[in-house]
Amino acid sequence: MRLVSAELFKLRTTSIWWIMGIILIPLYAASVGFNWLSSYALTSGQAGNGGGGTREAQVQAVSQPINIATNMYTTGQYMGVLIVLLLCAIIVTSEFFHLTATTTFLVTPRREAVILAKLGAGMIVGLAVWALTTVLNLILVPIIMDALNLPVQLGEPAVWRAIGLNLLAFMLWAVLGVGLGVLIRSQLAATLILAIVYTVGAAVVGIIFTLLSQNVAEWIGKLQVLVPTTASELMLSGTELPGNPPRWVGAVVLIGYAAVAGVVGTLITKRRDIS
Amino acid sequence: MSAPASDDIVVDHLTKQYKKLRAVDDLSFTVRSGRVTGFLGPNGAGKTTTLRMLLGLVTPTAGNATIGGQRYTELHDPIRHVGAVLEASSAHRGRTGRNHLRMICRAAGLPDSRADETLELVGLTPAAKRKFKGYSLGMRQRLGIAAAMLGNPRVLILDEPANGLDPEGIRWMRDLLKALAAEGRTVLVSSHLLGEMQLLADDVVILAAGRLIRQGPVDDVLGSMGAAQVRVRTPQAAELADALGKINATVSPQPDGSLLVSGADSAAIGHTAFTSSVELHELTPERGDLEQVFLQLTAGMAGIR
Repeated sequence: MRLVSAELFKLRTTSIWWIMGIILIPLYAASVGFNWLSSYALTSGQAGNGGGGTREAQVQAVSQPINIATNMYTTGQYMGVLIVLLLCAIIVTSEFFHLTATTTFLVTPRREAVILAKLGAGMIVGLAVWALTTVLNLILVPIIMDALNLPVQLGEPAVWRAIGLNLLAFMLWAVLGVGLGVLIRSQLAATLILAIVYTVGAAVVGIIFTLLSQNVAEWIGKLQVLVPTTASELMLSGTELPGNPPRWVGAVVLIGYAAVAGVVGTLITKRRDIS
Repeated sequence: MSAPASDDIVVDHLTKQYKKLRAVDDLSFTVRSGRVTGFLGPNGAGKTTTLRMLLGLVTPTAGNATIGGQRYTELHDPIRHVGAVLEASSAHRGRTGRNHLRMICRAAGLPDSRADETLELVGLTPAAKRKFKGYSLGMRQRLGIAAAMLGNPRVLILDEPANGLDPEGIRWMRDLLKALAAEGRTVLVSSHLLGEMQLLADDVVILAAGRLIRQGPVDDVLGSMGAAQVRVRTPQAAELADALGKINATVSPQPDGSLLVSGADSAAIGHTAFTSSVELHELTPERGDLEQVFLQLTAGMAGIR
């Protein structure tokens, strides 16, 4: 436990946490605006005319008030997870960037304990960002729901389940961030690669999957759940959506990635020469 | 040989093979407690690699290194036993010196007050709340020593701690390390500042190309490299050289006009000069010079491998 507190102390005594905080605020505001607009489009029936088949059924499903509610009450997940992912990678890479790994491993030669502490600190970071966005959502979303002439729905179990699963997503992405920070030791490379892959990469992979499933075989489209961002979106979707794998598949995929990244990262750190 | 005392450092047939480079090659030596041991070698001799293996940061290809009979990684609370200064630049640039030390205290379960105590010990209290990026190289060295002293360890291992220190700082560090050794602690200091080492170290371990060249007390190592020399100045150099030749002393004229005489001590040289009516202007015994001995011992083994 003292190692986790040391890791949090490290994070607190440099400027990275408030820099990330300042970046998060406008990104959260943009997410609120975007979700408001898309919910408005869904409720006023402007979205997704045509297309037919599964697509139409999906649009109908997400237009249901409960699904709009779960989406709205988890606003900020996309950007918040990005910030958590980067912060958690930096928790690891900054040790090598600032040559503090030597000191860290001199104090604690059991390196797996250091990585576990970093995982713990990362999950606390994830918890903090989740708590911040969730509190903001609980304040702002009822006002927006009111403006959309939808019920507030804070009594619905599905809403609270979505908020809980949102926390799980933050935690898993934190673990993923620490693991990937070990794998990509260069601070600059880690931040750039993770930020680009998370934002642009997911979209590109989405397009590739769409093209493959349209032109090669329909079943390839179902593999899209293997993309981490898709998996975490799937995990959050309020009720089962037609044509999508069940929600737990998303959770399993994310847990799998987090476990692999955490274990591989620990093993690599244990063996690596620190010089 | 007696059994190692509880704070001795024992390096036993240590080897580190990188892909093509054998950085450390079957190296064995012992560092005794209560003394300052200088760890000397040309650049690239394997000093830093050896220290990193000793501290569990680099895995040896073969062999063993123990501190008080235990490997560093097996020590329960390592920084209460062993303090190490490996890189002067190893702190986060944006963190204050005091927070750097507190961070170590947190991880090691030491009270935060140790940070302020060691800052005081190394004279950094006025800069405690300044960020590391504003520290001079000398201040960084002092912070490193403060970090090493947090756990009040019995064993100190320092890699080039004199780098970047001003004369006053070097003197401060020499006094500190000597005092720590006098308290019975083990002090191992690597350096290539040989003049400084001659003043500081009791024992030396000389390394070149990854191998042990010589180990022992400084005076023994100096004494083993030929007899001491005496510097002589005289306006009658040729006559003195003749006279000294008769008592089997060797005379080598120096570019500055003086003579370096070996094979006779200053008394014998003075007597010879007196009996042959040679006027002397200087008669100085020269102590063996660690730098000369070092260069002789490592000749041909230095340099980039």
